[in-house]
Amino acid sequence: MLCVKPYGMLCKIFVVPFYEMWDLPDIFVQTLWEGLVGGTLYSLIALGFVLVFKASGVFNFAQGIMVVFAALSLVGLHSLGVPAFLALILAAGIMFVLAYSVERVVLRPLVNQPDIILFMATFGLTYFLIGLGELIFGGDPKVMITKQLYIPTGALSFDFGGGRVELQKLDITAMVVASIMVAGLAVFFSKTRIGRALRAVADSHKAALSVGISLNQIWVIVWFAAGLVALVTGIMWGARSEVSFALEIIALKALPVLILGGFTSIPGAIVGGLIIGIGEKVGEIYWGPLLGGGIESWLAYMIALAFLLFRPQGLFGEKIIERV
Amino acid sequence: MRAPDDTTIKAGQTLLSVENVSLSFGGVKAIRGVSFDIKKGEIRAIIGPNGAGKTSMLNVINGFYHPQEGQITFKGVKRKKMRPNDAANGGIARTFQNVALFRSMTTLDNIMAGRTLKMHSNFFWQLWRYGPAEREEIEHRHKVEEIIDFLEIEHIRRVPVGRLPYGLQKRVELGRALAMEPELLLLDEPMAGMNLEEKEDMCRYIIDVNNHFGTTIALIEHDMGVVMDLANRVIVLDYGQKIADGTPDEVKANKAVIDAYLGVAH
Ligand SMILES: Nc1ncnc2c1ncn2[C@@H]1O[C@H](COP(=O)(O)OP(=O)(O)O)[C@@H](O)[C@H]1O
Ligand SMILES: [Mg+2]
Repeated sequence: MLCVKPYGMLCKIFVVPFYEMWDLPDIFVQTLWEGLVGGTLYSLIALGFVLVFKASGVFNFAQGIMVVFAALSLVGLHSLGVPAFLALILAAGIMFVLAYSVERVVLRPLVNQPDIILFMATFGLTYFLIGLGELIFGGDPKVMITKQLYIPTGALSFDFGGGRVELQKLDITAMVVASIMVAGLAVFFSKTRIGRALRAVADSHKAALSVGISLNQIWVIVWFAAGLVALVTGIMWGARSEVSFALEIIALKALPVLILGGFTSIPGAIVGGLIIGIGEKVGEIYWGPLLGGGIESWLAYMIALAFLLFRPQGLFGEKIIERV
Repeated sequence: MRAPDDTTIKAGQTLLSVENVSLSFGGVKAIRGVSFDIKKGEIRAIIGPNGAGKTSMLNVINGFYHPQEGQITFKGVKRKKMRPNDAANGGIARTFQNVALFRSMTTLDNIMAGRTLKMHSNFFWQLWRYGPAEREEIEHRHKVEEIIDFLEIEHIRRVPVGRLPYGLQKRVELGRALAMEPELLLLDEPMAGMNLEEKEDMCRYIIDVNNHFGTTIALIEHDMGVVMDLANRVIVLDYGQKIADGTPDEVKANKAVIDAYLGVAH
């Protein structure tokens, strides 16, 4: 098109994609929307990591499998004839039992061990949950009980910029539910006594202990909160594809989000997830073909690293001032 | 729930006694067979050179460290080891040598955190911040405001403590400990790193807490002048051992103490 010979490649990278965005705004808006929805789910996964990391200093490798396990429990209970909403409550109950057991069996005995030991323990937990999940629910992919939970399906579409933009109702629901969940957690952590205790534990274990805050209780609460976040993530993600152990790898998507947003920042997890989600989708659509596809497996990391070049303290970190 | 104090201890009676406590970390013997007591209502100083085991002693008393030998009797209950929760529940509050605050939280929230054990509204009410939870929050806010007044830190109520200068951080930390309405207050070098004026203020607060609320205080301090002014009785530790125990004047005149402070070889 407008790319002349010696500058062909540069032009295709730096000019053509932006021209296309401008030229076909409906496709651009559609891309942004899909990126936003994907990003919301990344945010939720990252949020699960951040909650646990803040309060217990553990990088919870098992967050991904918790998503699968929560979704499987829900679908599995329903397939046994439990009504959908009761199954939802019971699945939440299972996440509570999991949180309680993790605190008892993993965190409490290992509390004074180095962080790497706790990290390894969450590996163990991951494989335990995979084994247990396959034993109880079998290894085949399952269909999320979307209709039974009254999650709307189908699409809304409207004309835009000479084309049509389609918004899946499922995705709209995911956005709304995720927003409510995040707002709920934010209020809980900022306004209640338990929320205050949780922030206290995140800031200083020894000071929290000295005022009589029970670390064990706080750990159960955050792991349970992470479990609830996992359940919501599992429902939403499962509804878009299917519920299978392959979902576990979405945990890997959280890593660039955490690099970007920081391991301890809840706003960082949320905004970071959205940036990665949108960046990934836009990159895939506009630059992917140039690179011959396969871009989505590493693009998120590139975005995170590029960002860190300009803001080494991450999204919401305080400016790092080197002491000399 | 807190256990009722069936054994109310009167001023001058033994509140805490430490018997024959030894603590080591691998090969390092931090405390070697130390015994002493703290009487209700007194200010008890613990002094000694760096590395003498003073901080370790406080950590044993409030349950952070568990001694290999010896026992602790607090309010008549004998324990092989304290747990931090037992200590906090029993009315032991503390501050830390290197300030351990909740850095991202405001002064107000830090001090409110000191009320944790006094708040009982359940999870359900807290979720809605309604009914008992709301009433409770207000009632405790009241108490916390009194402490803020007392420590003259109204102007920093809403400031995240991580941004405060060191001297004020130490004051907030004292406030958080006071919010527990403790029976025994452990202060680890409360005046370290302060300027003269801040030190004088801190001394005044310590004396006031002791006089007005009758709070028993165990205090680690390097400034001998301060110790002589404040303390009723002084314990001197050196290389993990107790080398002297008595009134400030007795201790000051003690040969072993003078040697330890002047660094005479043992
Ligand atoms: N957690 C710990 N692990 C290993 N050694 C420790 C620990 N705490 C204290 N120590 C050691 O115990 C000794 C006494 O330390 P400390 O109680 O801090 O002394 P002080 O407060 O009198 O300066 C020191 O040799 C110190 O290195
Ligand atoms: Mg010390």
